[in-house]
Amino acid sequence: MIDDLIDYLGNPRNRETVRELLLVHARLSLVPLVLGLLAALPVGWAAHRFRVARALVLGASNVLYTVPSLALFVILPPVLGTKILDELNVVVALALYTAALLVRPVADALDALPAHVLAAATAVGYRPLRRFLTVELPLAVPVLAAGVRVASVSNISLVSVGALIGVGGLGQLFTEGFQSAYNPPIVVGIVFTLALALVVDLLLVAARRLLTPWLPRRGRGQRVRPLPAGVDVRGATGSAGGAA
Amino acid sequence: MIFSSVVEWLADPANWTGTGGLLRRIAEHLRYTVVAVLGAAAFAVPLGLAVGHTGRGATVVVGAANAMRALPTLGVITLLSLQLGILEVGPVLLGLGILAVPPILAGAYAGVQSVDPAVVDAAAGVGMTSWQRLWRVEVPIAMPLLLGGLRGAVLQVVATATVAAYVGLGGLGRPLLDGLRVTDYPQVAGAAVVVAGLALLLDLGLAAVQRSLVPRGLRLASRTVGGAA
Amino acid sequence: MIEFRAVTKRFPDGTVAVDQLSLTAASGKITVLVGPSGCGKTTSLRMINRMVEPSGGTIVIDDLDVRSADPPRLRRGIGYVIQQAGLFPHRSVLDNVATVPLLIGWGRRRARARAAELLELVGLPAAMGARYPGQLSGGQQQRVGVARALAADPPVLLMDEPFSAVDPVVREGLQDELLRLQSELGKTVVFVTHDIDEAIKLGDAVAVLREGGRLAQFAPPAELLAEPADEFVAEFVGRDRGYRRLSFVDSGGLALHPLPTVTIGQPAPRQQHWAVAVDGSSRPRGWLAPGVTVDGPLAEGALRPGGSLYTKGGSLRGALDAALSSPSGYGVAVDAGGALAGGVLADEVLALLRSHRGAS
Repeated sequence: MIDDLIDYLGNPRNRETVRELLLVHARLSLVPLVLGLLAALPVGWAAHRFRVARALVLGASNVLYTVPSLALFVILPPVLGTKILDELNVVVALALYTAALLVRPVADALDALPAHVLAAATAVGYRPLRRFLTVELPLAVPVLAAGVRVASVSNISLVSVGALIGVGGLGQLFTEGFQSAYNPPIVVGIVFTLALALVVDLLLVAARRLLTPWLPRRGRGQRVRPLPAGVDVRGATGSAGGAA
Repeated sequence: MIFSSVVEWLADPANWTGTGGLLRRIAEHLRYTVVAVLGAAAFAVPLGLAVGHTGRGATVVVGAANAMRALPTLGVITLLSLQLGILEVGPVLLGLGILAVPPILAGAYAGVQSVDPAVVDAAAGVGMTSWQRLWRVEVPIAMPLLLGGLRGAVLQVVATATVAAYVGLGGLGRPLLDGLRVTDYPQVAGAAVVVAGLALLLDLGLAAVQRSLVPRGLRLASRTVGGAA
Repeated sequence: MIEFRAVTKRFPDGTVAVDQLSLTAASGKITVLVGPSGCGKTTSLRMINRMVEPSGGTIVIDDLDVRSADPPRLRRGIGYVIQQAGLFPHRSVLDNVATVPLLIGWGRRRARARAAELLELVGLPAAMGARYPGQLSGGQQQRVGVARALAADPPVLLMDEPFSAVDPVVREGLQDELLRLQSELGKTVVFVTHDIDEAIKLGDAVAVLREGGRLAQFAPPAELLAEPADEFVAEFVGRDRGYRRLSFVDSGGLALHPLPTVTIGQPAPRQQHWAVAVDGSSRPRGWLAPGVTVDGPLAEGALRPGGSLYTKGGSLRGALDAALSSPSGYGVAVDAGGALAGGVLADEVLALLRSHRGAS
């Protein structure tokens, strides 16, 4: 097994393939992450601000999130006018998915902001938009970060499953290896997927630390927290256990 | 229009009955899902409860669970299939089980951790043993998050069980992949719609189960404004 | 009774929470542990029911070393009330109260019947049994917590700042309830608080602890106020020490002066001096100022509000406060039924105090 691996990686063409697939995979999973977050912010804000909108928005995003992504990959093309395997199709599908996942954490994070802090900001003279960008969003970062971390792992995983129907990325190593009954590409694919997920997670944690210098670092009595069990829609206690 | 051909395909009873029919595929798909989730739960629920209750081993276990989320299911299944034999259901169940463990573990752990420390203190103070504390107090209060984790796991597994078809087994991935191979778009889209519908139905059903299993006192507490103990 | 014998608690990081604590909490009495944060009062309390294990020394409850019993079993015989109540949110109020009886093996029906009795005992309506803790107010939750602690009729009751999380009005009510319960039940109570006034009001014996977990003074409240052991205790007991001490001085011998009265609902002639306005049951409702003319029957709107009331036979502090808070200079004294008994003067209170001191 190890020998096979060394043989496989020894071949520069293979290494090149792996590198390209890694880049595609990163692109396909991270671009939707950013797009989805950007889309979720106004929608989540609307859910937070307007009681009526809240039930509607959360319900819709719940439904959207429940639809398996593979189904989305397949059903979107006629709507978008693309083909299933177009990168645009995958990116839009995953962006929708990410947005659906993040709407609830955005709404919850904004709900959880202490009213007196917001009142102080308004009293100081901030206009609503500036207050949102400079006070509300930064304070919402911890809860948002937890959601984004879940979404990033989720997207990376979904892109690899997409290889089933031919989507690019590291998943192709799995199909290739399976079809040739050859282990090394699969092993390499698994390792690099894990590595990608780890690197992205670390970057997100670092970004969160950068954006929230006022929070204590873990190790000062903060309990170990698992990533939330998927969309908080499923937890009756909402964001209570959500911050990671 | 494309939509009408998909609707036609779905409306055709021939596609539902018979050995390769949708009904059969749905049954297979559900079988994989249920077995994988139950297997994962049998492992993850006790582990999550234990770690949450004793507080020991949290960093290791929770860290491992988070890492497991990143394991690509398709990769795991293809690798295992090559070792253990194609058409074997084991690799698929194992792969799907691995997928289900992290959300269930997180739900069980977070659920126990969510219990107000004052309540745990009081439970010890009235003279409950560790075991009694866990089962009579912590688990009931942990139910919302625990069930939430299970629900999330079911959803993910239903969505991913399509991979079973790739390694030669059944499930709703079969009409999906077969349709792709012969570029029969109505079939591919039809299968996708059925998977989506199945996921939605399961989620609704589990939501109802979740509501009924959460102790009444907790439901009321979360509804009363400012009513938390 | 509960004996602390040179009990020490040292935590792994080196902090000494309790340092060689020795005292005896008498049976059937309320012993209060009071002190600033970090004085080890809660830790000491929690060592009694082994929620915390001592590093040194022993704790003995009625000749039984607490370490000789299995902790859960020990705790089922000890009532434990904490600040946040810690009620089980997933169980009804009734089932919360029935917890210990159920744990020790009573049947469900018997346990619930007992729980209902206790709800009544702590002053809660029976209908509350069907509700859930999340639907109750803070004060109500605390009462349920006390009921739960008393359900299995334990001889010992441990209370850790049980009333600190409720507002002052509710707190006073709960304190009075506790005293009433204690007069009925006579439990051995160990009570922890950071509030010296609460300690003085509730305690039969008060232990003042200082930071570092050392005992500064252990004495009945009157003695604590009269003779603080050192400057720390004196500071902790606070200002108004002398005034508060008056709560413990009997007012026997204090003269009651007859006061002019007018009755509500009847015509009131113009008064030369301040007159007490009473209702049909002779209960004082306020003062009629001198020189005021009243048209027609006397109504409450024409009255000046009175000060606090002094109950005949109460403490000198009540008498002095009544006198000081009255607009007329006479403190209004009432009997046990609330009917007007006479008036007291501040000067005479102080004269009485002087005579006490002269006598001792």
